[in-house]
Amino acid sequence: MKPSVSVIGGGSWGSTIAHLIGLCGHEVLLWCRSAEKADEINVQRTNAKYLGELQLSPHIRATTDLSEAVKGVPVVFVVVPSKAFRETARAIGDLCSPDQYLVHATKGLEPKSHKRMSEILLQETCVRQIGVLSGPNIAPELCAGKPAGTVIASRYPRLATKVQELLASEIMRVYANDDVLGVELGGTLKNIVAIGAGMAAQMELGENAKALLITRGLSEISRVGVALGANPMTFAGLAGIGDLIVTCSSPFSRNHRVGRRLAQGDKLEAIIETLGMVAEGVTATRVAWEIARELRLETPLLDGIFRVLYEGMHPQTALVELMRVASQQDIDQLLAR
Amino acid sequence: MRKAHREKVKSEVTGRIIDRHTKRAASGGRPIEETVNESLYHERERLKTSHTDRDVADRQFYASIRRTLPHASPSQCKQLFASIVQRYTDQVTGRFNPTVYKLATSVLPFGLSALLNSLSPKRLLSRLQDVPTLDDHVNVQGEVDTLRRLQKQGTVIVAPTHSSNLDSVLMGYTIYRMGLPPVTYGAGLNLFSNKIIGFFMHNLGAYTVDRMKSDPLYREVLKEYATVTMEYGQDQLFFPGGTRSRSGAVEAKLKRGLLGTSIGAYRNNLINRRPNPRIFVFPVTISYPLVLEGATLIDDYLQRAGRSRYIIVDDEFSRLERWIEFMRGLFSLDLQISITVGKPLDPFGNDVGEDGESLDPRGRPIDPSRYLLIDGEYAEDDARDHEYTSALSSRLVDAYHRDNVALAEHVLAFAFFETLRRESQERDIYRLLRSLDSETSLALPRVAEEIERLLGELSTMERRGQIRVSSMVSRGDVDEIIHQGLLSFATYHTRPVIERRGVRLHVGDANLILFYRNRLDGYRLLDAPNVVSNEWRPAV
Repeated sequence: MKPSVSVIGGGSWGSTIAHLIGLCGHEVLLWCRSAEKADEINVQRTNAKYLGELQLSPHIRATTDLSEAVKGVPVVFVVVPSKAFRETARAIGDLCSPDQYLVHATKGLEPKSHKRMSEILLQETCVRQIGVLSGPNIAPELCAGKPAGTVIASRYPRLATKVQELLASEIMRVYANDDVLGVELGGTLKNIVAIGAGMAAQMELGENAKALLITRGLSEISRVGVALGANPMTFAGLAGIGDLIVTCSSPFSRNHRVGRRLAQGDKLEAIIETLGMVAEGVTATRVAWEIARELRLETPLLDGIFRVLYEGMHPQTALVELMRVASQQDIDQLLAR
Repeated sequence: MRKAHREKVKSEVTGRIIDRHTKRAASGGRPIEETVNESLYHERERLKTSHTDRDVADRQFYASIRRTLPHASPSQCKQLFASIVQRYTDQVTGRFNPTVYKLATSVLPFGLSALLNSLSPKRLLSRLQDVPTLDDHVNVQGEVDTLRRLQKQGTVIVAPTHSSNLDSVLMGYTIYRMGLPPVTYGAGLNLFSNKIIGFFMHNLGAYTVDRMKSDPLYREVLKEYATVTMEYGQDQLFFPGGTRSRSGAVEAKLKRGLLGTSIGAYRNNLINRRPNPRIFVFPVTISYPLVLEGATLIDDYLQRAGRSRYIIVDDEFSRLERWIEFMRGLFSLDLQISITVGKPLDPFGNDVGEDGESLDPRGRPIDPSRYLLIDGEYAEDDARDHEYTSALSSRLVDAYHRDNVALAEHVLAFAFFETLRRESQERDIYRLLRSLDSETSLALPRVAEEIERLLGELSTMERRGQIRVSSMVSRGDVDEIIHQGLLSFATYHTRPVIERRGVRLHVGDANLILFYRNRLDGYRLLDAPNVVSNEWRPAV
């Protein structure tokens, strides 16, 4: 029987989503690029590179055939890195049909075009019923069976209900929101603050500074989001402050590591080389900075991180400058509506 | 529409609405009695301020319902509800008569030109061959052949921009000249009371829309009427802007109610397995060098009374001498009204190919009926369908801006206004307008320079397909453009819009300068801030 749901992308987050759906008892197809990995998942039921020893749900079946994973499958999750997103979306566009649901769980903004992932899906496929899954969800914790919550944002209530049915379980609460733009931005822009959190951790600035960073970071995220049309309340939810807290607290994320290394005085090129790939926050910083310039927004924190990343400013100097910026109101009245 | 056919449409409309409300009430939704009370409330409010002949019968009708309702049994209540729906439907339904339609579309424009020429009978007699016709002044371009072809493969919705009450006459005429069957059109009540064309309106494919009626049930009847007639294969004329553009700008935001009926009709066609179920929406952009009601419209816009004065009763449109002036201007100056038929869209806002197939954003053919599937069945879903209509609406807005034709009048007004604005450095549009009078002037070369710059930007945008320009604007002869603009501006309006005195151009009517300038609003030309179109951005 054809499964009613598939996941495109066999990375850490894609495999975890497939696993969570499988735990709910649904048959799920997992598309991976490499045949070896598909074999590993189907035979040994592991994805060692990303999820270590974890025994994957028996309801998962891996495939390398994109057509099989897309054609006629009512709900398709797209969980590929933002860099590969457009290319994947275009390939899906050859195979999908207007009655299908596409749900993406990819954080990021496209360089140059500034497009969000849902906008790329709209540009590359005929599907309109699109949703985004985002929230404070560290894959290893979920795989270890620890409880968490997440947000499914969509303009299509039926899609949100469907995703809740597929994912909600004893360890996963799934909340619905209709603000796609806000949820996508929350998930993307928090990565920038995470780089700052990494720097702060390396510089041993303490817990007060961390709270300052998270709160002012949220205020900037909201300002950019609202200027682009998001609902300010979205940033008070799981996909906003929720995701920001977890990202800034966890020392394991790539963005956090980038921040640490920068504070140690390493150059961005060198860091990218050792990380093996660009952390989402690095690209997001440039895109967000360009958007903020275009909209003439005040974003001192973002500007500081941008200058450290792209203009070679030392984090210590950036910190001094940030502390000198004229203080604004604690609560931005523009955001309360 | 034949009488028997009309009765069938009417009973279908009322039947569906009564059915819908009964079912909703039965499944724990709103009781019928409440809906009747709501209609009573809205109609009573309307009748407080409205005192036409039509209202006498309405007053009696609602008084009797008000008497009966308190003691009505559930089945009586349903009857009262049905009688209101029936009444609304009767009021909406037009009396279409094909013979009169032919007469109207062929004689009306000729009649108008003859009327103008009768002002100089000598000319009429001596040069009978050269009697100007509307044809010489209406320049139709774009996807006319596609429209003709797709009209045979499904039902067509013609969706023009709305600048003037002349639009409906003009579109009726254009559609007739294309050799297409008449379109169904919801005309405002004020058009029917207009002595000049009221008679024709009643007998075109028009049905009546009373915009004073605020009852949601009345709107439901209107939408259902459009839906049912579409299902019977009658092509439609919708003005998605809802009302004439007060500011003069191209519509940046559309009303979705009527547009959304295309999805309902398409779904019903699919469920009933009709032979040609598809519905094609054609954006049409009309560009006038002069707008008949321009002065009233811009005043209304500036008074910000646009909402309360939704219906302007006594504008230029109802005054015969203004028509004559307008037509005389049109003919004597050899002015061209541009009508651009855009590429067709499906009800979901997808492009439609040459043979009527829907295309995805990358041009791959898709099956649009699948947008309506829920668990394998064609089904309604308000939230989903609302999103589809939003997509269609924003595609139409894009098309309007792309197909808008920049004419010499717009170019002159835009360059002139923006130069004045820069000189005064006044950011508030109202204060700026107040500061302008007939003593305000600019040196001709200054304006010419600004036009030169504007033409450069326009030609870049035109190359990118973001706007169209008239052949005169395309030639780029600044003197010619100024000359043409001044001539038009001196012709029709009671005061010249811009006036030349020696080597300087003087403000004639500041509001009208703004009005004609606004046709190029929203494109970010000359780095000018938007006056109106903040909701729309040109696609990069």
